[in-house]
Amino acid sequence: MKKILVVDDAKVIRMIIRQILTRNGFEIAGEAGNGREALEKYKELRPDAVTMDIVMPEVDGIQGLKEIIAFDKQAKVVMISAIDQRDSLVESLRHGAADYVVKPFEDDRMVAAIKNIFAKKQEDTVGSRQ
Amino acid sequence: MNITQDRLKILEIMSSLSIDRASRALSKSLRTGARISLSKISIADFGETTEKMNEDQREMISVMVNFKGNEGCKLLFMLPLEGSLILTDLFLRQRIGTSKECDVFTESAIQELGNILASHISNALVSDFNAQLIPQPPQVHNDYAGVIFTNLVLEQGMIDDKLLLIETIFEISGTELECYLFLVPEMNSFVKLLDSIGVKT
Repeated sequence: MKKILVVDDAKVIRMIIRQILTRNGFEIAGEAGNGREALEKYKELRPDAVTMDIVMPEVDGIQGLKEIIAFDKQAKVVMISAIDQRDSLVESLRHGAADYVVKPFEDDRMVAAIKNIFAKKQEDTVGSRQ
Repeated sequence: MNITQDRLKILEIMSSLSIDRASRALSKSLRTGARISLSKISIADFGETTEKMNEDQREMISVMVNFKGNEGCKLLFMLPLEGSLILTDLFLRQRIGTSKECDVFTESAIQELGNILASHISNALVSDFNAQLIPQPPQVHNDYAGVIFTNLVLEQGMIDDKLLLIETIFEISGTELECYLFLVPEMNSFVKLLDSIGVKT
């Protein structure tokens, strides 16, 4: 079962994401409330993927993304934010985000974003063997 | 504070468009018909508005959001405790009446709704008017309306006794929910924004 680290400063959003992902066959490795905690938890728990909010206190999600990718180039991070602006999307992708989901989101969109990461990873592995 | 009626009209249109966008996001978040509409845009007197707020003696849950970027702005979303509990239940997909008192879930739900409202208002201003503003982490407070409003104005760094105030009406499933949603733009930066989109009058 794939383990996911959920990062958001809003407790209710962490709870909703937890419910959606566990209902769809994922395990929640842990939760964090900002970018700094996210890196600490990532090092400690080594999850298979991360959902990362952007607007958070202390260390925001973009910085959290950069630090996780600096630690592990293979990290799979899905950004989840109510900010639906080109600059934010481009910056996230430039720093290695695997996807970008806009809040409020449908359950299916969230699940698809996580599933796509692993599908892509599998394709890459198959591709590299050929 | 000098602003012509023509410019005020343009600000009203900009506000309406961005509030419409926030309204759609709110409906999606709550999974019910939610509508926010602009009721009034005005150059308000700080003292008079605070006095009006002080008359409301109910306990309020509020969320305040600062925006950073070229256009300075603040958003204040504030509603009485009973309304906060209804929004919490809707947000958490629970039967209305499940939440009985203000707890960490109520505060977190109102915090997130403030974040969604602020983000979608800024999304509209950025995409439609080339504004540059990004919401900062929301701050939740639990206090009386007058105290919360005074904090907003003090944070805005009032150097004038007037402020540009955008007031709204909030409805959920056809029922008017008493709440306050104020947008307080920093006047000088919005005047520059109006200049940049060619509103020179």
